[in-house]
Amino acid sequence: MTTRASVQKLTYDPLARRRRIESIVSRTVIYGLLLIGAVVILVPFLWMVSTSLKIEKQLFEWPPRWIPDPIAFENYWNAWEQLGSIAPGLTFWRIIGNTLFITVLAMFAEMFSAAVVAYGFARFRFKGRDVIFFIMLSTMMIPGVLTRVPAFLIWREVGLLNTYDPLTLPAWTAWGPAYIFLLRQFFLTIPREMDEAALIDGANPVQIFFYVMLPLVKPAFLAIGVLAFQGNWNNFEGPLIYLNTTQLFPLILSIQFFQQSLSKEAPKWHYMMAMATMMAAPILVLFFMAQRYFIEGLNVGAVKG
Amino acid sequence: MQERGAPLLYVWNQGGQTMGDPGAFNSYYPTFLRYVGTALVLALIIYLTYKGLRKLGVKTEAATGFALITPWLVGRILLTAFPILLSFYLGFTEYNILWDRPRSLEDPLFNYKRALSIKIVTFDKDERVSIARLGQLGAAGPDVVRYRELDSFVIGDKRYVIAASDIYLLKAIWLTLRYAALSIPLGMAGALGVALLLNQRVKGVGYWRTLYYLPAVLPAAAVALLWFWLFAPNRGLINWALGPIYSLTGSEPLGWFTDKDLVLPSFVIMSLWGVFGANTVILLAGLKNIPPDLYEAASIDGAGTLVKFRRITIPMLSPTLFYTLIMGVIGALQLFTEQAFIPTDRADGWFVNWFLYNEAFNFGRMGYASAVGWLYAVLIIAVTLIVFRSSTAWVFYEGAREREPGGAKA
Repeated sequence: MTTRASVQKLTYDPLARRRRIESIVSRTVIYGLLLIGAVVILVPFLWMVSTSLKIEKQLFEWPPRWIPDPIAFENYWNAWEQLGSIAPGLTFWRIIGNTLFITVLAMFAEMFSAAVVAYGFARFRFKGRDVIFFIMLSTMMIPGVLTRVPAFLIWREVGLLNTYDPLTLPAWTAWGPAYIFLLRQFFLTIPREMDEAALIDGANPVQIFFYVMLPLVKPAFLAIGVLAFQGNWNNFEGPLIYLNTTQLFPLILSIQFFQQSLSKEAPKWHYMMAMATMMAAPILVLFFMAQRYFIEGLNVGAVKG
Repeated sequence: MQERGAPLLYVWNQGGQTMGDPGAFNSYYPTFLRYVGTALVLALIIYLTYKGLRKLGVKTEAATGFALITPWLVGRILLTAFPILLSFYLGFTEYNILWDRPRSLEDPLFNYKRALSIKIVTFDKDERVSIARLGQLGAAGPDVVRYRELDSFVIGDKRYVIAASDIYLLKAIWLTLRYAALSIPLGMAGALGVALLLNQRVKGVGYWRTLYYLPAVLPAAAVALLWFWLFAPNRGLINWALGPIYSLTGSEPLGWFTDKDLVLPSFVIMSLWGVFGANTVILLAGLKNIPPDLYEAASIDGAGTLVKFRRITIPMLSPTLFYTLIMGVIGALQLFTEQAFIPTDRADGWFVNWFLYNEAFNFGRMGYASAVGWLYAVLIIAVTLIVFRSSTAWVFYEGAREREPGGAKA
């Protein structure tokens, strides 16, 4: 009863009333703006999915049709069939195999080597460590244009062009400075007593790394795993430069190859959008499953750097 | 001027013929063996480095630490330092991708001259601009490098023609710089706006954040394809939405990516949609880190919303803003993947990275591409360093004095 009375009293207070109206107005404005933003973000997205489910006739219907009729799920299959007719042997399953082969191998090597190197930087004192660490961070600034041509020539010289080697083997050398940085920050937060205790128990550094350290930095380890998967899945420049035989193409390069093979007059937008959706789908699934790792990876550089 | 063709893209070392398909198994299996082999070799290098250092009398801790970073060291020497030096050398040579070895140039600096030569040629006002009168720079192998018109202006009864030996490069650099100058500040301001809105004790912040982050997760290739379709001059969704405006003003539908004046805005709009979310998430985390008592204290002192924003939010958020700025600069100057899915005109719609890729791998000028790569790398690093230097003026580090240089708090 007392609360109700006080509420009653407040509504009659002209100042409080003004404040409440102001608050309602500002809330409306805030949510209104957020909603407009949401529409801007979602409409292109929905258009992509909607187009991918249309039959060719409805592509250019005027005004645009949002819900296709009939819903042409077969686009998702026919797009690859048509690509296969241009590049025999480049079937859907072959493309998935190629993509996963590159992505998984490169991702695993990147995660593992970054963890080893970060462990070295974080847990052991040696001469020149901080200088080397600083140099490592500054390699982030080296633009890819400097190494693209010579790297191609080096791989040509060793006869490994048109294989997956240039896309997977270098990952063992911890080529992502950001990953090393992220993991090192995590290693630094682990109290030294942990390794000392393990050392006293007779564990060697290799055992300490696998059984004590890696489990403790699991969140960061998974975060860079997510980032590395995404990075390799989306890597376009590497396959473009190193791969020649169409049957070896991963998803992203197959899509570009398909796009280039289509005439400008009939771009087959329904197939292109089906392919784009399929390119995006695994990343989106990963994102919804492991959102916190995505955001972890994003924020660590900003907050701790 | 469309020199970007499908048949050229995949021709590098078989004189135009693609290599045969080795089959799935034969393409995975040898690479997998070498992949495992590389790991073993690197493990061996770690072990031998450790043993060697111990023998030299280095303490266990130092030897272990140094040994553990050798994979990175080996990789950077073989795959970063050596290629950079090699590319410096190649910049002084002529090297077609179909040749086995680079050939030396008569004038070692020719590639650099070709990239940078600009001159002004005067014509009479009514005279036709002829390529012959613009002159030529010289010849590298089979191609004669001519000056071409970049721009011209009329003063009095004279026409001054600015001619350059590689107008495509200069246009690409100009386009890329304008793209960076537009997309980065707009993207940051927009993301800051959304982050500020989400910071107003909005219900379901997590959901909003996920939603706004969504485009940033989409692969660049998918984003590019999607926007190429949205911006399609012939019945794309955007031209449909603008239909009433077109019919009101009686103008033709815009060409977006195919229009030489609208290429830049189209790329900027696409980048805003794609990059917004990542920055929003980063800035929101930064906003949440600002201690609320700062605002309370300011309120007690009678500060209004605007003053609080200028005197508290911006300074406290400046390290985060700086981070997004640096990432934005690095990203914008190296745009590549999007371009591959959006065929634009070489003269008006190519970014530097795409220009360089084509010079090296499609037009058979790897030497020239290396030289320009060096010039462009210097430009990128200069811009980044200027941004870094400017940071002392506007970035506020709370605990600046306690920090060691380089952010290393070992």
